Amino acid sequence: MTTVLDRAGPAAAVTPPGRRPVAMLSRPGAGWIVPGLVLFGLFGIAPMVLVAYLSFTQWNLLGSPQFAGLANWQRFFTDPAILDSLWLSAVLTVLCWGFQTPVSLLLGVWAAGKQRSRAVLSAIFFLPLLLSSTAIAILWHALLDPNWGLPSYLGGDGNFIGTPQGAMISVAFVASWQFIPFHTLIYQAGTRQIPEVLYQAAVMDGASRFQQFVHITLPQLRHTIVTSSVLMIVGALTYFETVLVLTAGGPGTSTYILPFRMYATGFRSYDMGYASAIAFALVVIATAISIILVRISGFAKMRSTREGL
Amino acid sequence: MIRFGLIAVLLLATACGTSGPQAGGGEGAGGGTLHVWVLEDKLNATQQKAADEFNKTSPVKVVIDKFNPDSYPDKLRVSIGSPNAPDVFFNWGSGSISPYVKAGELADLTPAFDADPAFKSAFLPAVLDVGKIDNKYYGVPLRGMQPVILFYNKQVFGDAQPPKTWTELLSLVDRFKAQGVTPFALGGATAWTELMWVEYLVDRFGGPDVFKRIYNGEPGAWRDPAVLKAAQAIRDLVDRGAFGTNYASVDYNSHAAETLFAKGRAAMHLMGSWEFTNHTELQPDFAKNGLGFAPFPAVDGGTGDPANVVGNPTNFFSVTAKSKHQDTAIKFLKTMMSDSYVQGLLDAGDVPVLGSVEPKLASTPNPDFARFQLDLVRKAPAFTLSWDQSLSSAGAQTMLTTIQDLFNRKITPEQFVANVENVK
Amino acid sequence: MIALLWLVIVAVPLLALFGATLRTQDDYLDNGPLAFPDGITGDNYLSVFDKGFGTALGNTVMVTAGTVLLVMITAIPAAYAIVRSPSRIVSSGFRMFLLGLAIPMQVTVVPIYLVITRLHLYDSLLAVVLPTAAFSLPVSVLILASAMRDVSEEVYESMALDGAGSWRVLLNLVVPMSTSAIATIGIYSALQAWNGFLFPLVLTQSADQRVLTLSLWEYQTQFGINVPGLLAAVVLSGLPIFIAYLFARRALTSGLMGVGGK
Repeated sequence: MTTVLDRAGPAAAVTPPGRRPVAMLSRPGAGWIVPGLVLFGLFGIAPMVLVAYLSFTQWNLLGSPQFAGLANWQRFFTDPAILDSLWLSAVLTVLCWGFQTPVSLLLGVWAAGKQRSRAVLSAIFFLPLLLSSTAIAILWHALLDPNWGLPSYLGGDGNFIGTPQGAMISVAFVASWQFIPFHTLIYQAGTRQIPEVLYQAAVMDGASRFQQFVHITLPQLRHTIVTSSVLMIVGALTYFETVLVLTAGGPGTSTYILPFRMYATGFRSYDMGYASAIAFALVVIATAISIILVRISGFAKMRSTREGL
Repeated sequence: MIRFGLIAVLLLATACGTSGPQAGGGEGAGGGTLHVWVLEDKLNATQQKAADEFNKTSPVKVVIDKFNPDSYPDKLRVSIGSPNAPDVFFNWGSGSISPYVKAGELADLTPAFDADPAFKSAFLPAVLDVGKIDNKYYGVPLRGMQPVILFYNKQVFGDAQPPKTWTELLSLVDRFKAQGVTPFALGGATAWTELMWVEYLVDRFGGPDVFKRIYNGEPGAWRDPAVLKAAQAIRDLVDRGAFGTNYASVDYNSHAAETLFAKGRAAMHLMGSWEFTNHTELQPDFAKNGLGFAPFPAVDGGTGDPANVVGNPTNFFSVTAKSKHQDTAIKFLKTMMSDSYVQGLLDAGDVPVLGSVEPKLASTPNPDFARFQLDLVRKAPAFTLSWDQSLSSAGAQTMLTTIQDLFNRKITPEQFVANVENVK
Repeated sequence: MIALLWLVIVAVPLLALFGATLRTQDDYLDNGPLAFPDGITGDNYLSVFDKGFGTALGNTVMVTAGTVLLVMITAIPAAYAIVRSPSRIVSSGFRMFLLGLAIPMQVTVVPIYLVITRLHLYDSLLAVVLPTAAFSLPVSVLILASAMRDVSEEVYESMALDGAGSWRVLLNLVVPMSTSAIATIGIYSALQAWNGFLFPLVLTQSADQRVLTLSLWEYQTQFGINVPGLLAAVVLSGLPIFIAYLFARRALTSGLMGVGGK
């Protein structure tokens, strides 16, 4: 991803200028990149252009899209349902970030230790990552059933996923349950890159473990924290399967986060033009947030978190 | 440069596609396949048998494709806009097919009915007309009627009687609550289960014309006092604990509501007649000994006829305009009126809307229920189709989520009326 | 502390998942998800196969294989060109892949549906393979290009002096020297395909073309209150990846890091 950018740039830019060109050195022509470009252009870039175009049309899946001018966008900026979805998306994002970051940071730092028991536990922590979002959502849908699931152990009537707050917390928890292992790995790798000497010096100064964590580990992990946060936030903005399987947007519209509203508008209400407007807005928001985060954190180049894996 | 090139290629492909050849259900002269889309339910075995029988002699082979009821309308819409449209498909008539009719995607079946008067006269005329749009027939009603029925658990009821009036219903609610039993099972995680309450109450308070005006998009139709009264009655039920407290988490699709009901943790369940079939399948003992059924009660001061019913008057099979095998499709649909097919429906608890069905009821496994259903529908002055099938899909989505908000006490009855006001 | 707490949060649901699949439906409904099984039954796993699990598994395998193959034959030459080609087309192409990293695939479903139906591919496995592979490309190209850059200029020169053409250089030098990166992108794209849900949901419809993730979703209705049967399907759907995890943990971890990054 972004983490390998600085090493993967195009050849022309990085060939050392002073090097003697080898005349017979055969270099691959532009043709080599064409199959990949066509595939990605057709199903990656073109759909982005098309989504922008479709947002100015009306299309109910029957027949062809009809040009509709600014109608969808006028509606977009005046629709209270959109504001509601934006708010729900923001809540979900904050919940996910607020839950995942401390847990995966602490777990990652802990797992960076070399003890064998930690390796074994880490292997168990990793297991949720092996299941698909769908499988995980189905598992939790069963476990959150009010009458036959885990809520029945907690006393009360088990009405959790049916309440607006409960449903949102459920989605945030299930998504976190799935992705914390991934972020733990990022933090584990980041922690292992912190030079050992820093800790040795601190120990000589008599710093406690807590002081070491606050004054060495956290500052050293700041780039990792930004990387992980960007991934979490963009991820939370695009959760879809979890919502569809777990709550289907309900109760009412309590978990109609933006991507789910896009899907429901397009494939349930058959209003593809408006769905495209929502989709386009989603891209803009996700990109803007990533850029702002990277800017605020004060570095344009992300350091590699892949090393050490 | 490249990017623009790619877009051009793509737009070209897009443009060609719209006018390009449509790969329908089958190809080649004589052979080919006829895709029939149905819901995944207890009737699939009967449908498959009819297809197998038909395929023995027909050069065009019938293929039955089964779909999950919840995602079926989406799949249908998506495919009818695509070259993979079915030849024949299951639907609810009325609003569920009118967009297709407008888009010219459905075959007009009027000539087929006109050519074969015996075919046409076999159906109850009132039901046949639900499949009529702009005075043309677009659907053949070949499945059972599915009125919404008040089921009750006889073991829980003991000597109590099912409610005939709203007052009786409320006193039953208090009685069961005192016993620690949830009065009504409700799969409230699935919004259409709650819609059934709204449909019946609006009909009882104001009669079927209230919804007709809504369906016709008349301004202020939702402002009819019957809608507010129905919403208030629902709020009252919710406040009384008629549905327990955790209904919002109960998923109908996971059969959670019916299991609670059958296990005696709930006393009653307002649900479509198909629920009887589900119980015979999943809890056969309960279906035999514990399952009672009654009409929805009257409400005090309501102007609607208490004999009215809501639900699905029938289901239809429609034929797509692009199908290459329309004649075969009609031929196949006619075989579905055969005695053995009708018997298969009856055995599964489905009462088809054929005039000739009554004498056959006695030989079915559950003659009492079959007769109850037939009587209920026959005596009903009005049989209103489920609202979510009549309204536009966007309107239905809004209405369903708003009803869920009402049941979950997120909004007041007054807000409910205001929030659905623009739904058509 | 937190490690132990998290162990409970991870292990308990997984144990409940596995335990439930060995119990009867009545046992599960009467005693709850955490109870020790009354007895052990294998029926739940068998019941999954009555519901078309085999077809779905076959479809998922085909989609996965197709995606990996397509990614390999497009990403490897593309990465090679990015690292070695002086062409300006290549460098703008590279920028396009970078741009692609920022596109969440969720937002493209409507236009992709349009493109797929117009190409007459709707309801086919190929319809799932094409966009899935396309969205695996940016990450794959980056990982590969990064690894290929490690091959030193001298090695290229010596091969060139032997008169080797681009093809030979790619097959005899670049590919062998980037095997671990190739394994990573293979696993990354395989996981994308195996766990993908949205594209199959929107681009296929019939039971013959249904992949595992979609089947699981359908099972939720089909099994209904038969939770053990449903969960058996969940376990089976994850089994192949679990086995891969046991045998190739390192490669799988790197592949997954790519997945999460999308």
